[in-house]
Amino acid sequence: MNSKTTMAAGYVLMATILVFSFYGLGQSLASGGYESDNHDLDHEYHEENEHNGRPLAFSIDPVYLDECGSCHMAYPAMLLPAKSWSKIMAGLEDHFGESAELDAQTRQQIEDYLVLESERVSYRKLFRNLGDAAPLRITELPYFVHEHDEIPARLVADNDRVKSLSQCNACHRGAERGQFDEDDVVIPGFGRWDD
Amino acid sequence: MSPRLIPALLLVSTLFAVSIVNADPTLLPHLDTYRDQGVGQASAWRGEELWYASYDDRGCTSCHGANPADIGKHVKTGKSIEPMALSVNPGRYQSAKKIEKWFLRNCKWTFGRECSLQEKADILTWLTSQ
Repeated sequence: MNSKTTMAAGYVLMATILVFSFYGLGQSLASGGYESDNHDLDHEYHEENEHNGRPLAFSIDPVYLDECGSCHMAYPAMLLPAKSWSKIMAGLEDHFGESAELDAQTRQQIEDYLVLESERVSYRKLFRNLGDAAPLRITELPYFVHEHDEIPARLVADNDRVKSLSQCNACHRGAERGQFDEDDVVIPGFGRWDD
Repeated sequence: MSPRLIPALLLVSTLFAVSIVNADPTLLPHLDTYRDQGVGQASAWRGEELWYASYDDRGCTSCHGANPADIGKHVKTGKSIEPMALSVNPGRYQSAKKIEKWFLRNCKWTFGRECSLQEKADILTWLTSQ
């Protein structure tokens, strides 16, 4: 074999390797690049709603944000079933031990938004094993409990910068935009969480 | 005293008087509505007493902090609360509806009952003088 033939064979080999590596990269991107079933809530929630032909955009009502978000994070409506929101909005006089009373018109407006938004974008996996229950707390959803059961107390309850699992946005940096990707979790005073 | 000083003193005293008028909480329209409902003279001193009072370990300062000019922190959720003192947060008392909403909620949490009109007038007078 002369040197020209050797070089040509080398080029062909290199080109083949390059083509296959790009193909492999493309495949891994298309599949999301991971296998874990609990990896990306946001990603799967979008896919689910695409199948239903529903709109994808996360929307937040400014009245909800202003009225409810002045005391706590304005929890994305998709995190509870619609009937949970109705129950919460019917009991604002004793809202987890505090009065969060609103005038009738504003109260109704917020309930309408939460119910509609929950039905529109509800992430069904969150409601797995829930049955007909309508809990008042996101932290009581069986799926939520399962997802957080490996996190030691020193990182949450005993961590002054977190204190409670109710403080989604203490660790999930995109929580207020409805993003709960595990890759985006940073526990204050501890760092990234990877299980 | 040099006669040249007189205009300067006049100017300073006028500015001082204007600043007192501006800080006068009775200019707050919402306080007038309390007066229209029969509330007597509001007292910043009584308002201050209420602000620092503690009932079953609950008080205004649980969430707002001791100094109304500082940013507060919700005792349960940790969410920050903009200062209550009018001097550092002039936009605070623009809406009567908002003032009443928070009095209703927070008096119930703090004192276990609604505040009287007199108490609201007193607290508002104290906070708007800060």
